Amino acid sequence: MESFIATGLIGISLGTQYTLLALGFTLIFGILGVVNFAHGGFYVMGGYVAYYCNVILGLPYPVAVLMAMLSMAALGWLFEAFILERVIEDHQATLMVTMGFYLVMATAILMIFGAESPQFPFPVTGVWRLGGIYFPYANMIVLGACLAAIVFVYWLVYRTNIGRGMRAMSEDLPVASALGMRTKALFPFAFALATGLAGGTGALVTPILALAPHVGDSVLAFSFLTVILGGLGSVTGATCAAFIVGLIEAYAAVYLGGSKGALTLFALVLIILVVRPQGLLGREVRRS
Amino acid sequence: MNNRVPKSLPAEIRPSLFSGHDWIALAIVCLTFVIPFTSTNPQVLSQTNLILIAATAALGVYIMQRLDLMSFAVPSFMAIGGYTVALLSMKLQLTDVFVLAAAAFLMPALCAIPLGALILRLKGVYFVLVTFVLTEIVQLLLFEAGPITGGSNGLVGMPAVKIFGMELWDNPHVLLTTCGLAFVSFIVTSVFTRWFRSEFAAIETNDVLAESLGLAAWKYKAMAFSVAAGVSGLAGFALVNMLLTAHPSSFAPMSSVNYITYTIVGGKASILGTLIGALLLVSATDYFALSGEMSPGLFGLLIIVVTMVARGGVVGVVSGLLYRLAGQSPPLKNGEQDLGVNGEKGQ
Repeated sequence: MESFIATGLIGISLGTQYTLLALGFTLIFGILGVVNFAHGGFYVMGGYVAYYCNVILGLPYPVAVLMAMLSMAALGWLFEAFILERVIEDHQATLMVTMGFYLVMATAILMIFGAESPQFPFPVTGVWRLGGIYFPYANMIVLGACLAAIVFVYWLVYRTNIGRGMRAMSEDLPVASALGMRTKALFPFAFALATGLAGGTGALVTPILALAPHVGDSVLAFSFLTVILGGLGSVTGATCAAFIVGLIEAYAAVYLGGSKGALTLFALVLIILVVRPQGLLGREVRRS
Repeated sequence: MNNRVPKSLPAEIRPSLFSGHDWIALAIVCLTFVIPFTSTNPQVLSQTNLILIAATAALGVYIMQRLDLMSFAVPSFMAIGGYTVALLSMKLQLTDVFVLAAAAFLMPALCAIPLGALILRLKGVYFVLVTFVLTEIVQLLLFEAGPITGGSNGLVGMPAVKIFGMELWDNPHVLLTTCGLAFVSFIVTSVFTRWFRSEFAAIETNDVLAESLGLAAWKYKAMAFSVAAGVSGLAGFALVNMLLTAHPSSFAPMSSVNYITYTIVGGKASILGTLIGALLLVSATDYFALSGEMSPGLFGLLIIVVTMVARGGVVGVVSGLLYRLAGQSPPLKNGEQDLGVNGEKGQ
């Protein structure tokens, strides 16, 4: 029973991480209609920026996380404003451009930091114990930080004028533009918010999991899973789905072992896509 | 008043089976048959092999693009075709190239029928994502089904294939096999996409409207998905025949990005674009490999530049230039053909 509860805690911890990744991914799709294949790249690069700031420059870890978020937000803003914006009307072109940018980012990381995984330990060690339940402090801190970031995103999206503008554009872009919403400003902002979240997640999570140039591939796959399950473009759906994915992954890894957990998840998502293509809380299908 | 609908178009305006681009693509593939007989340079043989395998695999993407569907499932069907060949040759000692090619085409095509029934209801970005998920599932299954697929070790030590009892074991003969498989794939794709071009064009333009006008869109989508799977299976055969190994890493999910890139960069509107895209990008990869670690980044940069500068792909841009030089008006969309009054796509 204690093992079951401990696994559940790990699942919730994973769920919060996936929520942050999925929120960014789903925001970009919901507002810009873009499937961002570079999302995993921003996650990895965020991890490396935090590593550089914390381990190489010796800055405190929270500052390193903040730097990762800000730098990835800035990179995302520049990418959207100067490259993606030029092909935003052509969805296949946006796929190609984001794929290309992912390759550029992965190569840049490889060139600067090398192929070896660097030593990037989480600054806090130790384990919280309650009876037979164990939960690492690192996971607890990451859980808290991710929850705070999720609350911030919800506040931004649902309680501010910028968020209302983004949601209006996501609902009906032509009408929102006619009513005075500035797509030229809000598109890059939404993209920067999403990539900043991905960078922040990378900075928080890679010290616990792994930091290597190509971990973005699996991150992209899990982001896909989460947003498909939750429904593309649905912020609440992505949040619910992220916790479902996190819990299934944790329990499947413990009780099934090997890659059967991932296989279970992928099969589940395939069934959901077939039975309910719009996901748990998704909306109408966009064309690719 | 005569209200009869003609059963077929008059001979003088009946569209030809192959377009100009189809003929050029087939001619280029035919020319590659010369290489095994004229070159012993391993670099040339290997590079030609890779280009033809890439172009054959990209045909799977090209066929689905006729229906405005972007498929990431090519590596899945390549894996089914490749592993089928490996299993047949290693477990049943079936090495005849014709039997293996038929199996490599039919097995993925048959698997695609029930899969297509499930996923072809989806379109747009959901189709993109479900095919990506499918590729991930197939990859995990290759690792999990160890007793059949060899798990993470793969199936190593395939015997050489035979044609009329003669072993095709050395590099020129392996390339000859690949040339044959590529030629068959290009013929099948050309005939298939040209034969049903009007139906595909209607579905690509507006599938709901096409269906409401009486076109059984599901039937054409299922056929296209099945043929695309079969052609991908032939590419899988060529790949495992070149490597003499069937290994999960040869069919990695992210390799689907390459096949899509070949199609889009070359020009998704014509079969020639697929071949040109594979030719340019595989050569570019080889050239960039000289730059070591920078190679994927340069490849990514090339994708971005071509996507932004040449929106109709290389073939689309060149076609547009030729139209202008000839004093004719270019197609409506750069690189894509407009439907004429008789349903013939202008080339």
